[in-house]
Amino acid sequence: MSPFRLLLLGLATSAALRLGAAEPAAPDPVPPGFVRIPAGNYSPVLRMKDEPETVPVAAFLLQGRPVTNAEFLAFVQANPKWRSSQVSPLFADTGYLGEWAGALELGPGAPADSPVVRVSWFAARAYARWKGLRLPTTAEWERAAAAGYEVEDGQTEAAFRDAVITWFTVPNLRPLPAAGRGRPNYFGVRDLHTLIWEWVDDFNTALTTGESRADSGLERDLFCGAGSVGARDTGNYPAFMRAGYRSSLRASYTVPNLGFRCALSLSP
Amino acid sequence: MHIPMNSLIPTLRQAAAFALAASALSLPSLHAAATALPVEQAVVTQAPHVPPPITRRTEAHVVVNIEVKEVVKRMDDGVDYTFWTFGGSVPGVFIRVREGDEVELHLNNNPTSKMPHNIDLHAVTGPGGGAASTFTAPGHSSQFTFKALNPGLYVYHCATTPVPMHIGNGMYGLILVEPKDGLPKVDKEYYVMQGDFYTQGAHGETGLQPFDPVKATDERPTYVVFNGAVGSLVGDNALTANVGETVRLFFGVGGPNLTSSFHIIGEIFDHVNTEGGTGLVQTNVQTTMVPSGGSVFMDFKVDVPGTYVLVDHSLSRAFNKGALGMMKVSGPENKSIYSGKELDAVYMGDSSAAASESAKREAELVSQRQAAIESNPAIANISREIQIERGKKVYLSLCFACHLADGKGLPAVFPPLAGSDFLKADTNRAIRIVTKGLTGPVTVNGGTFNNVMPPQETALSQDQIADVLTYVMNSFGNDFGTVSAADVKRVQNELK
Amino acid sequence: MKLFALLCLAVFASTPATAQPAAAPAVPGRAAPALPPKSLYHLDSTWTDDTGQTRQLLSLLGDPVVVAMIFTNCEYACPIMVTDLLRIRAALPAAERARTKFLLVSFDDVRDTPPVLRAYRAKMNLEAPAWQLFHGAAPDIQELALLFGVKVKRDARGQFSHSNLITVLNPTGEIAYQREGLRGDTDEVVRAVTATLK
Repeated sequence: MSPFRLLLLGLATSAALRLGAAEPAAPDPVPPGFVRIPAGNYSPVLRMKDEPETVPVAAFLLQGRPVTNAEFLAFVQANPKWRSSQVSPLFADTGYLGEWAGALELGPGAPADSPVVRVSWFAARAYARWKGLRLPTTAEWERAAAAGYEVEDGQTEAAFRDAVITWFTVPNLRPLPAAGRGRPNYFGVRDLHTLIWEWVDDFNTALTTGESRADSGLERDLFCGAGSVGARDTGNYPAFMRAGYRSSLRASYTVPNLGFRCALSLSP
Repeated sequence: MHIPMNSLIPTLRQAAAFALAASALSLPSLHAAATALPVEQAVVTQAPHVPPPITRRTEAHVVVNIEVKEVVKRMDDGVDYTFWTFGGSVPGVFIRVREGDEVELHLNNNPTSKMPHNIDLHAVTGPGGGAASTFTAPGHSSQFTFKALNPGLYVYHCATTPVPMHIGNGMYGLILVEPKDGLPKVDKEYYVMQGDFYTQGAHGETGLQPFDPVKATDERPTYVVFNGAVGSLVGDNALTANVGETVRLFFGVGGPNLTSSFHIIGEIFDHVNTEGGTGLVQTNVQTTMVPSGGSVFMDFKVDVPGTYVLVDHSLSRAFNKGALGMMKVSGPENKSIYSGKELDAVYMGDSSAAASESAKREAELVSQRQAAIESNPAIANISREIQIERGKKVYLSLCFACHLADGKGLPAVFPPLAGSDFLKADTNRAIRIVTKGLTGPVTVNGGTFNNVMPPQETALSQDQIADVLTYVMNSFGNDFGTVSAADVKRVQNELK
Repeated sequence: MKLFALLCLAVFASTPATAQPAAAPAVPGRAAPALPPKSLYHLDSTWTDDTGQTRQLLSLLGDPVVVAMIFTNCEYACPIMVTDLLRIRAALPAAERARTKFLLVSFDDVRDTPPVLRAYRAKMNLEAPAWQLFHGAAPDIQELALLFGVKVKRDARGQFSHSNLITVLNPTGEIAYQREGLRGDTDEVVRAVTATLK
């Protein structure tokens, strides 16, 4: 399924869109490195007034860990226009791959097995397309990330909640540790919470102003919306932080703690 | 083309649009062309320091640069915390501008930050106080411009969701908009802000302490502190002044939740600009209430040397959670204003009028006894006796209020220690009770008592517990043996 | 991708300080279209205008363009934005007005077909050739929205929540100015357009 379809339709299932690219679809069984996330629900902490409290998420495949520096190096070797020396300033800001020692050299700041960071949304999407994959949607990412270590609803697991909130309160590690070493969650996915932030395909659907208080009654002046955004589960601080984080981004931004992982739709 | 004069001063919304154009897209700002005012770089300072008063008497275009940084710093001895800061420390840098100035604010979010941040300045007239215009991802910067229309002392803070966490991690500071004619001249100015902090560990639990969202939601702070740490204004870090000087204090409360009952022990505020405003100047104030997200500034002349203690007069916060600072005033004594100690006597704390005469008499006796203990060399070298006498001091400072000086207690209210079968039966239990307190019914000498004795483990050392127990076990006609510090240590270890 | 072909051909008099090193390797001796690195006219997306003609953004090269992203079923903000654009056009001095294009790009790839856009032009009284209305494919709409920094979300009814943003492109397709929100003063936009022609 094209990422754009998910972006623009949210989770509607219409197939009426004309698509810009062939849909990447997964073979059965699950390819190595991927985890099958069963169908379930996503409960956004911020939602439009006439939106349901939970939205269904179809089963999909999610990469078990973030994309690493070594993997992204292979991508830029094969696609010169995505090297830091050649990338268009439209598609990545000047910090692009800034942890690397050079355009084709990782160096001590970017160990091969650590997650690649300082990649723009455009670059992450290009990588995913090159691999025949796509970026997960917000709903998919949050659906996978809502799981705790032992149970499907992480909010009921104290050890999980503590680990997530603690990550926000410790400084970034530099260089970042290797990807794929974190404790797997209920589905078997690692590093969703305590390593880096991750791009999602439809990050710019977070219609927040970054203004915590206005977000509970979105200003019509800035956004033309069908209704106001209402907040639920205000105790789930990490979910609010992720929503706030996404809304601070622009697609060309690169950030030292922001990377990505890929997803794949399941064949119907 | 006709350009209205008022468009030379950009509105907030235009400023926001400029910010978008200039920072997000790295385009030259049209703003510089729109302003005719002289441009100056603001001097900002970290607490407790305040930038110098503004001497110019005309408006300016003031450029303020603030770097947002997430830093690990000391919260208390052995306790570290990841503070989110405007400028590297809590509270954020002090900004000083003049009424009518155009303020061009640059918010730079350090690349090492975990979070996006923004700034809402209460001095801004306009939606969100600048928050939406300054929402900034890590490693990026934003800019907006506002006109400082209203003089006064204003809080600024981060308003990024979830806002209680951003403020709860220290993201607040003060901006002073000086009135056109300035503030009355003083000798010294200081900057203090109070904030409440919520750590996963208990107060004093060492190590890097993560933020606790549950405690924050329940408004149960582990720390309430001035200037971002326990002891930030104590000892060598105390504020200083000289006798005869007039001191102005700019005080704000970041919150996120608590209101401060701000008080300086031993000082009366001569003038208080209530709620940080410029219209109402109250005089001769003891304690001023400062709301969360609010401020006050006051001045007072320091007439007498000594140490003056800044507190939130909701005193558990000062005594138990850290909201305590000091101002050390040096210079010559002035006995006509403050005499020093003229009488040192024990006050029994009994408010009953009928008892007051006997309380006075008893106080005198206790005082004499205390003096006798302190001055009698005949007993100085006898270890058990010393322990008893030391214990008596502890007893007279803590225990006597309930158990009374004669150890007889109050029938049906406070159990007796004198001749107590309960005390005699189990010394270890006595150590446990002094350490951890006691709640619920006990039977002593045939009488039932159902009251609460508070735990003393934080108030008393192991030596002091041994001393006070030895005292009560050898006083009031008791002869129950002695307790050593080693005994206390052993029992307390069993309790852990 | 055309973007990079153009970049490789481009010869710049000077490299902007903020540009990536070697973002546009100069090829000595060859004159080329002098598109700056941040020009949106590097994009190779194709669009259909309300006359049914296939267009690229590059076709707008040479004149300032005032752009807004809208959808014709919008009940609140879009009519206000279009009215603002009409006021901006009216406020431009004649010489500048003659050169400035006004571009509406629809969010709605499903409903805003070229005939629907043509009807919208008539309804809102948008004169040709100054006004251009583009219909596009979803990925291209998303890419453009992201380059402008527009946030957009389609709801279950097919309506869009979106940021209200007016963007001024200079004659070489760089973003020269943006105004976010409604109720803003249009004078600034007028001045920004005028400035791109100086």
